[in-house]
Parts: sequence; structure tokens; C-alpha cells
Amino acid sequence: MSIQINLDQPPFSFLESTQLNWLKARLDLVFFRAGETILDIGQPSPGIYIVYKGVVEETGDDGQVFTQYGREDLFDIRAVLESGCKHRYTAVEETLCYLLKARDFIQLLNESPDFSVYFNTDLGTQQQLVEQSEGEVSEFILAPVDADTMRAPVYVSGQTTLARAAALMKEERYDALLVRDGGRTGIVTGSDLLDAVLTGPHSKETRVSEIARFGLICIEQGDYLFNALLKMTQHKIERVVVTRDGEITGMLELMDMLSTFSTHSHIVAMRIEQARSLDDLIVAARRLEKLISNLSAQGVKVISIMSLITTLNRRLMRKAFELVVPEKLQSKVCILVLGSEGRGEQILKTDQDNAVIIQDDHVREALMPSLQKLHQVLLDFGYPRCPGGVMFINDAWIHTVDGWHQRVARWLQNSDPEPMMNMAILFDAEPVAGNRDLFERVRSAWQSESLRSSITSAWFARPALKFETPLTLLGKLREDHGTIDIKKGGIFPLVHGVRSLAFEYGISETHTLDRLDRLQELKILDTETAQGLRDALILFLRIRLRHQLERAGAQPGLTQQLRVADLRSVDRSLLRHGLHRVKKFKQWLVSHYHLENL
Amino acid sequence: MEEPYLGDEVVVVDCETSQFDRRKGQLLSLAAVVVSGQNIQLSEALDVTVDSDARTDPDAVRVHYLRREDRRHGVAAAEAIEGFLDFVGNRPICGFYIEYDRAILNRYIREYYDFELPNDFIEVSELYVRQKRRYIPEVNLDLTFEGLAKDLAVPVIERHTALGDVISTALMYIKLRHF
Repeated sequence: MSIQINLDQPPFSFLESTQLNWLKARLDLVFFRAGETILDIGQPSPGIYIVYKGVVEETGDDGQVFTQYGREDLFDIRAVLESGCKHRYTAVEETLCYLLKARDFIQLLNESPDFSVYFNTDLGTQQQLVEQSEGEVSEFILAPVDADTMRAPVYVSGQTTLARAAALMKEERYDALLVRDGGRTGIVTGSDLLDAVLTGPHSKETRVSEIARFGLICIEQGDYLFNALLKMTQHKIERVVVTRDGEITGMLELMDMLSTFSTHSHIVAMRIEQARSLDDLIVAARRLEKLISNLSAQGVKVISIMSLITTLNRRLMRKAFELVVPEKLQSKVCILVLGSEGRGEQILKTDQDNAVIIQDDHVREALMPSLQKLHQVLLDFGYPRCPGGVMFINDAWIHTVDGWHQRVARWLQNSDPEPMMNMAILFDAEPVAGNRDLFERVRSAWQSESLRSSITSAWFARPALKFETPLTLLGKLREDHGTIDIKKGGIFPLVHGVRSLAFEYGISETHTLDRLDRLQELKILDTETAQGLRDALILFLRIRLRHQLERAGAQPGLTQQLRVADLRSVDRSLLRHGLHRVKKFKQWLVSHYHLENL
Repeated sequence: MEEPYLGDEVVVVDCETSQFDRRKGQLLSLAAVVVSGQNIQLSEALDVTVDSDARTDPDAVRVHYLRREDRRHGVAAAEAIEGFLDFVGNRPICGFYIEYDRAILNRYIREYYDFELPNDFIEVSELYVRQKRRYIPEVNLDLTFEGLAKDLAVPVIERHTALGDVISTALMYIKLRHF
């Protein structure tokens, strides 16, 4: 019935189609002139307004603007569920709203659990519902190895003959047997039997213990299936033994896995693992973007995509390092990825942020040509140059352990924002290739208590306040230039604020989400705040990824501008909540670090 | 129905016909909605398709897209008219080029009940002209439906479906009447 807005999105998409059709027939259309008050403080609301055209502003009794509502936004749920309006709603321009009458809305709440849950829950749950409704597709690649994915093992004694073993395989319809021989356990497969008898010196009467392989390749129950796949690829085998605390609990078959794997991901993973040349790697690296867009389209959660891509990126780096850097130098150097890549929060490729630790200054000269080459490889992979020059081809980002200690000390003695941001970038470092010990020794530089004095921590934290939260401007931005910068407005202040706390309290985790877990454990942040920030970060990353994929240009990963009008209204509303969390967090940081006096 | 109406509601009406002819045009669909203040009571709207055998003028089909097949599920014309009379009551009837709708409706009502609609009629384009002339007497006005919609910044909703036109017309009426 002539309804001009898209109701095929959350929260309405939680309704059954019959309920949705019923709802569509229950809508009235109301017109408001510019400046007209739609709902006033203390007034009961006749129902839920859904904006069709125009802009509505929500203000408090002191005139403070809370937010603006545009096409397909809803208000005021609270006024309907509770006794009356807490705020005033005014039409900024001529506005048309559909009106779902209160009793009809309440009837739907009573009839649809998902619909009502959506309105009665926090940001995290709302987001989960939104993500769920976008299709639950296998996240098999990041599923754990568990009882559902593995088979029960079939055991034979080492004294069994090959003939009996073959018969048993046929009976059990299973191509592999575990062989118990004394205190050890080995494996024998159908093709082992064939090889032994047809091309080897053995007869049907040979004991299986003679041909079984006793160095079992195992995976611990609960590990990612993805890692099991990589193990198989590395060892060129088709099954691994599953263990729990060292005890064998089952077998995991490649065929079983491949049949359920999301198609693209394992191909890319295998390509990286099997790459024999840089060209092979470049092909694999160039496929990552397609993989991301596939996973995203399949509805895989942004957190899962993030951890998969981080794993793949790091393998790519390590592989490239092994191909480029001469073997004798490999243990004398450590490659660090920094910033978002270090935190494992990069999805689409952004620019290169990396650094190198060298064992001693003699290595430098021998290493430079390799680093130049590695830099070129990263460019070929699709990582653009870092405009700030945070790259291991620049002298400023190659040091010995001592050199790094001096540099860190210099940065931390300086209250200027730039050295503090350098420190922040390095603080997120994660070693990806070479000698990890070198990194452990560098890391001790910023874990020393004396360098983390309270004033240094405050300086470190200060940039979190650098950008305004685009919260109250949300609607207005749509009119002016229509975009908000999600990095400056949301992600950076959140990530940097959490990073500052991690710095202050000597937390060594690099993922922002893990840092939040630790801060919560240490009771530095209360549960609600920590959870709110986790939800907000995941939300920002999800919305940004979706936006970047939709408006794919040459470097979609560099886009931070969200066009507000292009966001689905449910995302706009979640975004408002998320930004609100960030704003509160910034206020918390101000009082925690006494930044008002700095 | 003959009682004078004292409320502030009006009923906005639109008919689609087989051809654009007051005497021969057969009623194909009929929509009406009550406007109460600034509220268009869409949820109570009347929106009926008439199961009419009328041959449709190819040009008209291109306007309203109501092929004979689309009308199969409709109701008999007599039923549509009865529903309409119940719906309207004695409220004023408003529309765009309402004289045409009035003529069509009266032709059917005369046939079935032997009377004509006694209601007040409000012509939206007349309200528009009056309002415009108040400020600039000699102005050249675009009096097409689209022209009014554009000037009044009213969204054109599913043009040439009876209900879509009714909603747009109702919005024009609200804006002309209240502001």
C-alpha cells in the first residue's frame, strides 16, 4: 500500500512477512511544517514516527541538540513504552512522517520476540540481531575443531598384519588406522598399505608397526579448523590427529573440511602456504580483497573476518620475508608491523606501517637491499607507501635494540604530539617475521615503570581528544557535506584512549578488544563501559567495512568518510549510540588524566 | 448526508477511468482518504479496484496501468460506490480537477440511487491559484498536477494510481490549507 519508505530493514525485518504487511496497512502519514514541534517534553506520543521526508531534531529542555533524524529513522520509542517524552522533537524543515500508532506498535512487540528484543536491549545485542538477520553463513574457517567436525579413531595393535589392516579399513569404511605399538601411537593409511605391498618389500603378513608412521601430526581440540588446514597443507597430508591435553580424541579429515569450507578462503590460505616465488605471493595477496568482500557478503562477522585476514596478512609477510631476506640474516633481524596491522584490526589494506629491529649495526648495510626489495613486494601486494614515512626503509624506523631504547626514551621525554604519536604507533607493534627475541628486548623499553610516569601517560593520552565527536552534527553534516570521518570521529579516539590506558598500566596485549578485556579485569574500566566500547568498536569497523566495500575505489581501505545518507537507518541509529559511547569515554579520559589542565 | 458538515475533516478522492470522458469513462479504481488536520489517515484509506469489462483506451492504460486482468480481483461498481458513500459521509470532498471525479461519481450514483453528491467540493488547484494570486496577481502558474506538486514540494507518490494521487493531493491540500 503506497508506503514510500523501505521497511525491509531492521528492526522491521525482524517481523514475519504477514506482520510486516499488517504494519504497512496500519501507517498514517503526517505532515509538519518547518519549526513545528512534533512531540513536546512530558507529552505522550501517539505512536512511533518514521521519517519519510525532512529532518527532525531532538533537543533537551535547555535547548541542547541531542541528535537529528532523517529518512527512515524512528522516534520516540521511549515515549511510547514509558509515560511520556523526555525530549522535544521539532521539524527542522518541512517533514513527512509515517505514524505507527502506539497500540499497533505494542501489539507487534507482543507478537514478535525479535522485534521486541531489539527495542529493549543495549547496543551490542541490537547489533548482534542486525548481524544475524543478514544471514548466518558458515564461519567454518574460524570454527573450532570439535566433536562435530572430527571422526572417532580406529585403533589396531602394532602386531596386526597388513592383510588384516586392509580388511579392517574396508569394514570400518575408513582409510586410516591408528597403530598402538608399545607406548607409542602411529598412523597407517590405505595408500601406505598399497605402497608397502606393491612397490615396497613387504607382504600381506608384515606387521603394521613396520610401516606405520609414528611422528603424528596433531592439532589440539578447540584450535581453529583453519590452523588444521594449514598444518595439512604444510605437511602435504590429508588428515591430522586431534588431541586434548595430549590425549588422542579423534581424526580430522581434509575431505570433510573442504566440503564445508567457504570456498575462497582455503584457496587463498593454501596459495600463500604453497607459494614458491614472490609472484605466487602477489597473486595470493591480490585475492585478499575479493575474499573479504565475499566473506562480508556471506554475512561473516567482522571480528572473524578481521582475525582471518590478520592471520593471512602475517603469513604473507613472513613468507615474503623468507623469500627475500638471505637465510643467514633472518635471525639477526625482526620485522614489526605497527598501528592497525599490529593490533590486528586491519581488514582492507591501508598504508604500510612497519619497522625493523636489527641485532647490531653491522647487519644494517647487508640488510638494506633486502628491505628495499621487501618494501617493493609490499607495494606489489597492494599496500601503499605510508605518507608519514613509518616504514622500515627509512632510517628512523630501523634500529638496534639499544637504538630503539634510546628512541623510545627521547619520545617519552617530549610532550609534543608527534613523538607521542610515534610512540603510539610503535606501542601497537607485533613481530611478524625474523627473530622474535629482539622484539621482547625492545618492548621492555616501554614497560619500564619509570618511563610511564603519570604526566607521560597524560601526554600520551591527549591526542584522543584531538577530533570532535561528530555526534550532535550527525544530521547537519548530511546537509553540509554529507559525510562523517569514522576514523577521526569514532575509531581513533576509542583505540587511542584504550591504548593510553594499556600504556599506563603496562598491558602487553595489542588488540584493542583484548586490551579492553584486561582493563576490565584490572577494574580500571567498569564492565558496562568496557562492553560498550567493545560493541562500539566492532560496530564502527563493521559499518566502515561495509561502506568501503560498497564504494570500492582503487584503495577502498583508505576511505574513512562515511556518507551519512548512504547508511541504512538502523546503522545510523547504532552509529549514534556508538559515537555517544566514545564521547562519554573521552570525558572519562579527561578526568582520568586531568587533561583539562594540560 | 444532507446534514451540513461541521468538523474539520475532508475526504480526498481520486478516480481512474477507462477513458478520459465524463460520459463514457468507466470507473476502474477509486481511492479516498480522510485528512484530519495535518494527519492523513492512510491506515483507514479506501482503495478499491472495480471489476469492469470496459475496453480500456490504450492511452489510458499507459496512464494508470490497470489492464483488464488487473481488475479481475476487483469488486462490482455498485459495491465500490456504496463503499464510497459510506466512507465519505457528509464531509467535504477534495481533489485535483475534482469536477471530473464528481461527474463520474454522480453518473454512477444517479444510476444506482437517483441522486447526486450533496457534499461541498474543494478544488486543490483553485486553492493554489487563490493563494498564489494573493501575493502576485499576474503570475503565470503551472496548473498541472506535477506543477503543483513541484511548487508545493509535495512528493509525487505512484502517480496515476488512485491512492498515490490521493496521498499527493492530500498533502497539497494540507499545505495550502494550513500554511
